[in-house]
This record gives sequence, C-alpha cells and structure tokens, in this order.
Amino acid sequence: MTMRILAYATLALALSLPILPVMAAEPGEYLDRRSEIWNLFFRMMTVAFTIGTVVSGTIVWLCWRFRESHPKAKRTKYEEAGEW
Amino acid sequence: MVLEMARPRPIWQIMFSTHHTDVGLLYLITSLAFMFMGGALALSIRAELFFPGAQIITDAMTFNRIFTVHGTTLIFLFILPFASAVGNYFVPIMVRYKDMAYPKLNAIAFWMIPPAGALIWLGFADFTWYATPPYSVISAPGPAADMWIFGLKILGVSSILGSINFIVTILKCKHPDMPISKVPLLAWSFLSSSLIVLVALPTFAAALLMLLTDRLGVSGFFNPAVGGDPIAYAHLFWFTFHPEVYVLVIPAIGMMYEIIPRFSRKPIFSVTSGIIAFILLSIVSFASWAHHMYATGLSFTEKTVFMVGTLAAVPASAMHVFNFLATMWGGRIKFSTPMLWAIGGIALFFSAGAGGVVNSAMPLDFVTHDSYWVVGHFHLFVMGTILFGSVGYLYYMFPYVTGRMYNRKLGNIHFVLSFVGTVMVFFTQHVLGLFGMPRRVYDYPPIPEWIAMNQIATVGAMIIGVSMALFLINMLYSAARGKEADMNDPWNLGAKYYYPYERKNPQH
Amino acid sequence: MVSGHSNMPEWVYIGVVVALLCWVGAEAWNIERLVEHIPEDAKLIKVTGQQWFWTFEHEDGTKEIGELHVEAGKAYKFEITSKDVIHSFNIHDYVVLLDAVPGRVNTVWFAPTEAGEHDIQCREYCGLIHYNMRGTLYVSEAGA
Repeated sequence: MTMRILAYATLALALSLPILPVMAAEPGEYLDRRSEIWNLFFRMMTVAFTIGTVVSGTIVWLCWRFRESHPKAKRTKYEEAGEW
Repeated sequence: MVLEMARPRPIWQIMFSTHHTDVGLLYLITSLAFMFMGGALALSIRAELFFPGAQIITDAMTFNRIFTVHGTTLIFLFILPFASAVGNYFVPIMVRYKDMAYPKLNAIAFWMIPPAGALIWLGFADFTWYATPPYSVISAPGPAADMWIFGLKILGVSSILGSINFIVTILKCKHPDMPISKVPLLAWSFLSSSLIVLVALPTFAAALLMLLTDRLGVSGFFNPAVGGDPIAYAHLFWFTFHPEVYVLVIPAIGMMYEIIPRFSRKPIFSVTSGIIAFILLSIVSFASWAHHMYATGLSFTEKTVFMVGTLAAVPASAMHVFNFLATMWGGRIKFSTPMLWAIGGIALFFSAGAGGVVNSAMPLDFVTHDSYWVVGHFHLFVMGTILFGSVGYLYYMFPYVTGRMYNRKLGNIHFVLSFVGTVMVFFTQHVLGLFGMPRRVYDYPPIPEWIAMNQIATVGAMIIGVSMALFLINMLYSAARGKEADMNDPWNLGAKYYYPYERKNPQH
Repeated sequence: MVSGHSNMPEWVYIGVVVALLCWVGAEAWNIERLVEHIPEDAKLIKVTGQQWFWTFEHEDGTKEIGELHVEAGKAYKFEITSKDVIHSFNIHDYVVLLDAVPGRVNTVWFAPTEAGEHDIQCREYCGLIHYNMRGTLYVSEAGA
C-alpha cells in the first residue's frame, strides 16, 4: 500500500516538472540560480525516492512475509520460550 | 489492572485525585477534547481554501485567528498532554513504583492546562503559533495576544513540572532491582523528552516575558523602532521549539516501541540501540534550531553550521526505523488496529524525515521556505508520525483504561481513512509548496495548479474528518457499551496483556 | 546481546545513512556557495516591505510601488528591508526569497534570462492582508 502511494507521489512530482523553467539555450553571462537550485532539488528527490522505494518495499515485504496467515509462518522462538 | 470506566465513580473523585491513573485519565480526556476542537479548526481552514475567494470564513482576521489557535491547540493542548496521559498511566508501572514521584505536583501540572486552554481559546489570537515580533509587539490586537502569552506561560510551567516528575520517577523511584538499562523504551522516551524540556523550555519562558513587556511598552527587546532585534526572538523561540519537536516525537516513537514487538510476537530487536538513539536525539536536537531561520539573513557560515547540525539528527531517527523493521523481521505479525497505526506511522515517519533531509539543504530554502512544502513536511511529523503513534497507542491502552474493547472494524476503517487522508493532504501540500503557494494565506490568486492541489488537500482533510468522527463514536460507544475485554489477552496474541506488576487505585 | 543477533547490519545501515547525509551536505554547501556569490556589476534595487505592499527604488532613484521593471540579461542585487513588521520578499519563478526585517538589510541577487511577467509575493505572515501583499515583476527584452 505504502509502495503504491509513493508511486503516485512520484507521479505527482513528475507531473509537476513543468514548473522547472525551460533553460535558455545559450549559457548566460551570469549563473542561473533557478537551474542550480532546481537541479539540486531534483538530484536529491531522485535519491530520496529511490531510498523511499527501498524502505517502503521493505515494509510491504515484511508485512507480507511475516503476517501470521503466511503459509510459512511459524511461532517465533520467543513465543516458545514465553519471553517477549 | 486499573479499570476506569468499568467501575464508574463520581466525577469529583477523579478530578480531585492525585493517583497517577486518575491524572492520566484527566490528561487523556482533555487532550482528546482539544484534538477534536483543533481538528475542527483545520477542517474550516481547508474548507476555506477549497476555492480562491471567501468561502465559509468571511474575513482574513478570523482566518488568521483560526490557524493560530489550530496550531497552538494541537501542539500544546493535544500532543503534549496526550503524551503526559500515556506517561502517567505507564511510567510508574514500568518502573514498578506505586505512583508518580510527586503526586500533588502531578495534579497541579494537569490542572494548569484547562485555564491555559481557556485563555488561548477565549482570546483567539492571530499572530501564528510562533508569535513573530515585531508583528506580535506592535500590530497584533489585544487582549487576544496577551491572553495567548499568558496561556503559553502557564503551559510552559506545566510542562516543566511534568518533566521534573517523570525524571524523578524514572531515575529515583524505579524498583531497586531494576537497572536503568532494563527500563522499557517507552519510559526511556519520557526520560529523554523530559530532559529536553528542562533544558530547552526556560529560554522560551524568558522570551515570552520579554514579548509581554515589549507589548506593554516598557521594554523594546524585539522592537526595532526602539533599537530591539526581532531576530533575537527567532533565536530564542527556535532554541526552545526545535528541541520541542523532538519532545513531541520521542514519546510517539516510544509508543511504537511498545506496540511493534507486541504484535510481532518478538522482543525489540535492540533495546540498547533504541536507548542510544534516544540519548543521541536529545543531545543533537539542540544543534539545529536556526535551520528555521535560513531566510532571515543568516551568513553562509551560520547556515552551514546549522545544516550540519540538522543532518546530524538523522542517523538517530534512522536507527529507530531500523529497529522497528528489524523487530518485525522474523516475527509473526498480527495486524490488529494498534499495529496498523504503528506501521503507517513508520512509513509516514520515513517520508517526513526524507522530506526534512532534502529541506535541510540550504539552497532549497529559497524554494520551500514558508511555503506549503513546510506545512506538508511538519504535518507529516505531527500527524503522520505523532498522531499515528498516539492513536495506535490509544487503541492499545483502551482495554486497560476502560476494561472494554473498542470496535475493531471501526478502528481499522479509522486507520485506512486517516492514512489515505494524510497522504492526500500532506503529500499534495509538498507539491503545492513547490508551486510557490505561501502558507498562512486566507486567499490565493486563481492559479489552476494551486486550485487543483488545494482541492485535493481539502478532500483529503474531509476524509480525515470522517475518520475522526468514526473514532469519536467508537471511543464513546465502546467505553460505555463495548464488549468486555479479555484482560489477560485482548488481541488473542497468546500472551499476557500487560506488565506483571499490578497496582490498584485506592479509590477502587 | 539479549537476543543473540548480530549488530553488523545495523552498522552497515548507519554507514549508508551517514554517507548519504554527507553527500546531501556537500552538494548543498557547493550550490549555496555558487548562488550566494553576487556578481560585481549587479545593479542595486532597494526593496522595502510594509503592511501590505512592496516599494522598489532603482539605482537612478526611480521608485515603483507593487511593480518592478527589470531587463533580461542583467544582474540585479536586492537590498531588502522593512518599515514595520517582518515580511518575506519572494519571486518564486526566479527562486528569489529573503526576509524583509525591520532594522536589517538582507541581500539576494538574480539575473532574469528572458522577457516575461512574474508574481512577487510576501511569504512571511505579516497581518491582515498578508495574503494579498502581491506585486508583479516585469522583465523586458535585453537592450530594450
């Protein structure tokens, strides 16, 4: 579920790309703060969403694999020992 | 077991009691009442912003008052008292002591909250929860502003008294056979957040007094017209309230540490790592306050220092996430209502943290500062993490408090709707901020993207509103008429519900 | 360890997190350094915020209220201050943002690249009409 939500969030972000101003073809005399700052932003968002995919994927997998109704689910050793 | 509702008592017996579970019950009811009040204000804000132009709120001043009281209420009158409620119920039990260390002080700390809440609500100030001078000094209408200042002053004292009580209870009253390393992580979370309060809060207490004398015209600390410096207030305020963010979030993390191992049927992956992360967080929380102030004209060096301080808080938070997931790994997870809230809380905690890391990069402040990005970001913490942890824990302690079981189906629906709503509102607000919409605006120009995203956010908020209405019905009905809970094992986990230590309320 | 597990994965994890944070910090530091460097030939524009409008004063002394006219291809340096409460001067399309603080002068610069109109707004809560403390930036063709 988290995964899907993050996927939609990524999509929403991708759709928001038009706010990225179209850069002038020739490099101006001055530094363009828009391109510097927005490029930094998108570099970081790429990394953030990659990590987000890994983390949410892990959460989803954990929930799927270790649910008590999973065919391979077995009592934890702590349950056997009664110490949890 | 202490059952509050199963054996009804006259209300004055609870009100005048100093027993920790009675004070805890008072905290609980008060904080939830304020949660619904503050939430109603949030819904009116979202309804107003559904279209550009005036919708349901007729003037800007009312709108400004509403968002001010919304923020103040939910932070100071819901989140903090809710944590105190949980702490009151469980810290003495976890350290195996008969009560809080100072029961009367405990009751006093609670009874400061209703008058403070009354001051804030009857005044209905308009200068935001941050009370920025010089606006708050020269421009904000009284007596609302002054009532707010006094309300916050009282809440600050209440917080300090509560913190002293928790620290002494945990360090000095724990059972002699119990080393500090064996104190459960929930109690550890109260220890670390209380220590932060003691160090951080006096600064704001001083700033509030200076603000008040400035308003009275007898001083000019923050008033540039007479040589004061408004940025000094920003430093004093954030020196208290950045650490305060951790004061709010740490108990919620502690609550997740109770829920996750229980429903994974495993012990916590590493208690040591949890303790280290709490201690690290409470120290590093003091190194980042000026990241709220990049736009006030800080120098490059200052910005760099506070960016590094901000990033330094991340590993400790990441350790908690690791600990949660490693606890679930290899468990046999039962998805009861509290566990759903805790897992949703982890996911949103990560999202909020990732947004925070991106945000701490100094140049991005030019994009996000005081835009809806910020609103989305911190709401993912206060709603997505703190409220999710707290509500999950409320479901978890419900049988303990009432002796009855909540309606599980309604509880699960509450979770699903709240999760969907939270994602809809606050993820959308991040993007809305990237489009440049400033926060704290009553009206906005009809830019199509702004309208669309405001409408998505409003629909999400209404979904949360519906879920909270279900929650209210569930709590009220189940507390009075719910099925009697099996107090040994309300969730059929195959183990005892709570700690072996029992202490009866002498009033019972 | 109580449960007898290895702590190795956690150390690796913390290592990865710290490495990522170092990358974020270094990138941010570098870009901030670049955008804070004000070109020497930037033209000065004095910006004054007050409840609830913006005033601009060009180098040649001409004043504008609520409107700002600049030329593409040139660099401009804003010296921002306020007459009453704290405001925040913001041209979102050009990622210009800095607080207008009474008693202080804050400096930020930008170089518009092409002709067009952009919104100017206040981003710091400043009272009753904060929501409508707006203006317009007009960028004209280079050399026009």
